[in-house]
Amino acid sequence: MFPLLTYPLALIGIVSLPILAAIYLMRNRFRRKTVSSLFLWQLQERSKEGGVKVQNIQVPLIFFLELLILALLVIAATGPRWQFGSNVRPLVIVLDDSASMTATTSKGVVRELAIKALTEAIGSQRILNFRIILAGQKPSLLGSPMRTMDELQETLENWNCHAAASDLPGAVAFGREISRDDAYVLVLTDQAPPQQLADAPRLRWWSFGEANGNIGFVNVARSLAEETDRCLFEVANFSDSFQNTRLEVRAGGKLIQQKEIELVTNATKRIVLNLPKGTPAVVATLGDDAMAADNSAQLLSPLRKRVRVSVAIEDSDLARLVERSLEATGLRAALSTAPHLIIHDQPGAPAGSNTWAFQIHSTEGAKSLSGPFVIDSSHPLGRGLALNGTAWAAAPVTNKSGFLPIITSGQQALLSVNRDIIGRHRIFMNLNPQLSTVSRTPNLPILFYNLLHWRRAEMAGLEDVNFRPGTDVRIRTDGDFLKLTHPDGHLEELGVGDGRIIARAEVPGLYQVEASDGDWEFAINFLAAEESDLRAGTTAKWGTWETKAEARRYYSSVLWLFVLLGLLGIVAHQYFVTHGRSRV
Amino acid sequence: MQAAFREHLVRGEELGSRYALATPELALSGHSGQQLGRRAGNSIDFQDYREYQPGDDLRSIDWNVYARTDKLTIKLFREEVNPHLDIILDCSQSMNLAETEKGSCALRLAAMLGMAAENARFTHALWCGGEGFRRAENDNLRPSAWDGIEYHSNRNLDEAYAILPPRLRRAGMRVVISDLFWPGNPTTTMRRFSEGAATTIVIQVVAQADITPPEHGNIHLIDSESGESMQMFIDSMVEQRYRDTLKQHQESWDAACRGCGARFVTLTAEQFEDMLIRLEEIELLVPA
Repeated sequence: MFPLLTYPLALIGIVSLPILAAIYLMRNRFRRKTVSSLFLWQLQERSKEGGVKVQNIQVPLIFFLELLILALLVIAATGPRWQFGSNVRPLVIVLDDSASMTATTSKGVVRELAIKALTEAIGSQRILNFRIILAGQKPSLLGSPMRTMDELQETLENWNCHAAASDLPGAVAFGREISRDDAYVLVLTDQAPPQQLADAPRLRWWSFGEANGNIGFVNVARSLAEETDRCLFEVANFSDSFQNTRLEVRAGGKLIQQKEIELVTNATKRIVLNLPKGTPAVVATLGDDAMAADNSAQLLSPLRKRVRVSVAIEDSDLARLVERSLEATGLRAALSTAPHLIIHDQPGAPAGSNTWAFQIHSTEGAKSLSGPFVIDSSHPLGRGLALNGTAWAAAPVTNKSGFLPIITSGQQALLSVNRDIIGRHRIFMNLNPQLSTVSRTPNLPILFYNLLHWRRAEMAGLEDVNFRPGTDVRIRTDGDFLKLTHPDGHLEELGVGDGRIIARAEVPGLYQVEASDGDWEFAINFLAAEESDLRAGTTAKWGTWETKAEARRYYSSVLWLFVLLGLLGIVAHQYFVTHGRSRV
Repeated sequence: MQAAFREHLVRGEELGSRYALATPELALSGHSGQQLGRRAGNSIDFQDYREYQPGDDLRSIDWNVYARTDKLTIKLFREEVNPHLDIILDCSQSMNLAETEKGSCALRLAAMLGMAAENARFTHALWCGGEGFRRAENDNLRPSAWDGIEYHSNRNLDEAYAILPPRLRRAGMRVVISDLFWPGNPTTTMRRFSEGAATTIVIQVVAQADITPPEHGNIHLIDSESGESMQMFIDSMVEQRYRDTLKQHQESWDAACRGCGARFVTLTAEQFEDMLIRLEEIELLVPA
């Protein structure tokens, strides 16, 4: 944004300024001379040409005017160009939002180094329009367009660097897209640019990283295993030498495991802990190193959601078959209160505001169908079903109105689903097991597993409690509000809508969910092997804003201005010389 | 008096010892002495005859003439007088201009004239022009004994004369030594100094720096007497004008001197040897 000088060599002419000053200085220097008498000098008449009696320059205006004229002419000789406001390109700043930006180098934290460099660079340039793009797993805009440094500083406070990956090429492309490929792009990261961006026009790539070794968690999990919770911690050594660190595992603030871990280069180690059922949240930590984000993990106790199923089937054979299939799912709970699901073989809708109905239409007059069967595999009930080669006996009844077919054969709907106005699901299955071979295949247990799994997913609460950053956390509620408290204490109110909420959690830590039908919590653990590996970090700068030829398109020549001012100065000088009192 | 001045007086006395003051053609007058005066006296040098008049000394009657002509005729002899030299020295500060020989030259010249006057059996007095005119101490003795001479005054000779004029001996010789660098009418000045004098000589002593303007360029001129200053830019035109002005000034003094029967000579302080030749040329000094 600075003035562009087409011929900078002309700046040599600037030496004329001190020369002029020296001339004036010498002109005003007087040798002192004592004479016998002044009267012989005073007798002489004053001459206009020679200048007998010398007077000091009483008005220094002419001197400064001459200096100004010289300066203007020198600048004019350099062919100055100026970028006017209408021509100023916007600046898109792409910030690497991955966790490796929080790593500590010998010069400081990478993020702080980048902010410092950015502030210094922007402070000296005339940018009228900033946009910031966070390059996380997906590029996203940070804040609105900015015009001042204060706004920029304020926005930078929201640059937290928690992402598990950084899509920098995507962010650059995104930045160019929103600016219609007219912006300067500045990338602040800790790594070298990919080959395709190294020489890209109007792109500057500043890296502030450092190649350091690092040890961190690359995988953690907590799963149900009978009556215990099984915890898995996988630790990796991302350095070029043998390393050791200390693993400490705490549950409810109590140290339950500590262990020295020794790892050779690029090695990983798995540590498995079996904890009693009901053990509270487990926190595992590693020793300090270059990056802190991957040195801790928190595992909440996994969910044990089961479905209360009531079987109301009069046909004892069918009932036995259903019971057996339900047991095989492992998702059925004891029926203590109102059932979540009623399986029946008689017509009629079940009672209860939150009870699903699964009706098996089994009649004597069923006809066996051998296919082909069309299954909607995208529906939760259709997953994993394979009916080819089986015989499905179905009564020739008219398809039920308002029901969505899941399995069909010809024009006959064998399995169909309906959702009523209060959100209850009714599933209608036209099957006579006695005349079918379906019960002798895994399809029936699979179908019931799909049924219970679907029903469980539609129950209020979370599907899981331990996630990686960037994972879509699905929350189901039947209430009318839902509040999400982030690890930093920030409270977010989410719209309930149809009861299915997807919360995107990027920041590692413990999140709390509050709804009218329950309170839950889930944990986000930073697990990203690529980010934990800091060996590719480097400090360097690549690229330029633009070539000189490109710059000239955006810099208008202001030569005329300096020439005009110079001419005005010359006219003024002439006037003062001929009319002023400062003549010498 | 500064020791340096004394040395200049001694040096002038040494030079003057080789010369005698030339007696002017116009007869001198003075007290009875050893020089022939312009009037009749009792020396042995015959001057003229005239008829006896009552009251004349009978011893002066030339009886031989009476025998031949029968008329009482008086034989006149030249009188013998002691002639006098008044040296009028300009003691203004301009006469002691720094970095010039002007002051020393003037002192040597005065001493030389004083000694030459001694050699010619002139009495002499040295008048210093300052806050009025005053005689130098011991000015009737040899120049090396003179004292009380200082170039401290910021008055020119005209101003000094107006304050306290010198008591110049009538019918004596008068030598004015000055740089004459002051504005005014030279005729008026010359009338004052030449009135009643047998002869008057004006010696303008100038320094080389007075003759030659400073080098071209800016210069801050300071008056040695008044302290006034003036800034000038000197070029060839200014230089020529200065020379013309100086020449015009000297010509006006020369004309004034001639109008009063005086002689005018300009001497350059830095060319002392030439000075002696000039003084001999104007017949002020003769070898002793």
